[in-house]
Parts: sequence; structure tokens; C-alpha cells
Amino acid sequence: MKKTVLVLSLIAFTSVLFAQTKKTTSATVAFDATTALDALPKAENKTVIAEIDTKTGQVGFEAAVKNFAFTNPTIQAHFNEERWLNSDKFPAFTFMGKISDVTKYNFSKNGVYNVTVTGQLTIKDKTNNVTAPATIEVKNGVLTATASFTIVLADYGVQVGNSGKIAGEPKITVSAELK
Amino acid sequence: MTDKSANKKGWTKKALYAFLFVLVLGGAAYWYIMNEKFDDTAAAQSAYTVSAQDLINAYQSNDSLANATYREQIITVQGRVTEVEAADTTVNIKFTDPVTGSYLIFDFQSQHVADAKVVQAGDSVSIKGSCSGNIFSQLRKAHMISFKRSVLVNKF
Repeated sequence: MKKTVLVLSLIAFTSVLFAQTKKTTSATVAFDATTALDALPKAENKTVIAEIDTKTGQVGFEAAVKNFAFTNPTIQAHFNEERWLNSDKFPAFTFMGKISDVTKYNFSKNGVYNVTVTGQLTIKDKTNNVTAPATIEVKNGVLTATASFTIVLADYGVQVGNSGKIAGEPKITVSAELK
Repeated sequence: MTDKSANKKGWTKKALYAFLFVLVLGGAAYWYIMNEKFDDTAAAQSAYTVSAQDLINAYQSNDSLANATYREQIITVQGRVTEVEAADTTVNIKFTDPVTGSYLIFDFQSQHVADAKVVQAGDSVSIKGSCSGNIFSQLRKAHMISFKRSVLVNKF
């Protein structure tokens, strides 16, 4: 009996360790549209779904727009309203892409890999190509991925005006621990 | 000084005061908005108290109706934790439907993260948070119902 439990535990452990698709439902995406005039338009969403297929290089992210947490209630309300992200109608951000030249990397080996991810980011039902450098650290089967890039809000139908209080090209920072 | 010029001077003075009043009022409103912060959820009144499985069921049977009821509300959820997941330097707590994979996930208010870190899978807890509604995940083929600014109310 003890042997069976041990063998089953070992199988479960190794299947997690060598699983091809690494996942989390707690990736973090930070949105920073601050300017010298206004430090408030920034938020974090810590409940982002993320997956990386270490063999094919497929990468996917999904975030609930309404779960971006701002410190300021008024700015959060603006972020979700119709002329901005219209989160009632378009509740999710999605990114579906691929690690370029994935065969160059051996993600089953511990190490730090600097990769390039290309794919499509969809916000408010508008899809644009995004290419971003990313770092993937592998430690005992766990992948820690980080990436940082900017987006042009106008490309997604979001007009920020010219008050200078909101950056038209906010910085997006992604971090995820995938198992 | 003629009556006409004295009258004009009086109006100028009144206009100046009115302008200053509007300026001070506008400044005060701007200052209030810029410095406004969300209240501690621990002190907030729950609009609903529900079991984790009942809430997941409500979203699975009719998510539009569930969003109309629960989204943007402070909700207290009771249930057995299925997973505690690292999220950057903090943790998220999850309740998952074992059959469908749909789940509730709670991100904690910064001052309450330490309380969440002691929770383990299998613990029965009560958590209060601001419901952000659901998305149907194409990656997981399941509903994700997320909460922000949460606080652990009880660990049984």
C-alpha cells in the first residue's frame, strides 16, 4: 500500500515537473499610464490566466478588465467606463502568441532564457500585433516569466485626449510563475 | 466718482469673489478626487453572503443574471479552499468546481495579504471582496469569477 502511494506520488510529481503546458491563474499584469502631471492612472491585475507550451512555444494570457485594481476609485471608474475600456461590453483582454524560434531553448533545463514573444493582443474587440522581449527563468520545472512593453491606446479605440494627464502609450508589465 | 463707475467697480469686485470661490471649490474637489482611496474592505458591509459553490453555480447557469446581481458588489463567500496560488509577492485564494473547472479567485487588499498567506488548501474560510464579475476563459474552458481588494473574515 505504502509502495503504491509512493509510486503514485512520484508519477504525480514528475507529471507536474515535466508537463509540456505550464499554467497559472495568478499571473500579474501591471498597467501604467502615469505622466508627470498625474501619478494615478496605474493598476494591477493579479488574477490573470496564463499558459506557456514549452514544446510548441504557444503563449496565452487572459485578464478580466474589471479586476484591474486602482488605488483611486474615480480613476478606476473612468478606466471601466464606455469611452475608455467599456468593460461591461468587453470584459476581457487576451493575448495569444508564440515564442520565436522556440526550438532554440530547452525549458526542461534550469536556466534563464531571453526570448521574443510575438502575437495578437485584443482589447475592446480590436486586435493588434505585439512583439515583446521576455525573460523566462526555469527552476526545477517552474517557469518564472517576465515581460515589459508599451501599447498605443488609440490602436484599440481608446482616446486619451491631450490634457497630458494620461499616457497614450502606457507601459504593460507581465509577470507569471507557471507550473 | 460717478454712480456709474462706482457700480462698475462693485460688479468687478463681485465677479472677482465669485471667480475665487469657484477656483477654491474646484481646487478642493480636485484635491478630494486625487487623494480619494478605496475604503478598507474589512469595514465594508456585504451586499450578499453566499457559499462558493452556489456562486459558481449561479454564474454557470446564467452569467448575465449573476453579473447583474453580484458584479461591483461587496460579497462574502464561504467555502473550502481548493488552492492557494502565489501571485507576485502575494497570494490568491481559489474555490474551484471539481466537475467543470470554473472557479472563484480572490486577490487581497495589501493590508490583509498576511492573513491570506496562512490559509491552506482544504481550510474552510469566509472571504469578503469586491466582485469583478466573470469571464469565460478560452484557455481553461471555464468561468473565472474574480474578486479584488479582498479580506479574510474567518478561518474555521
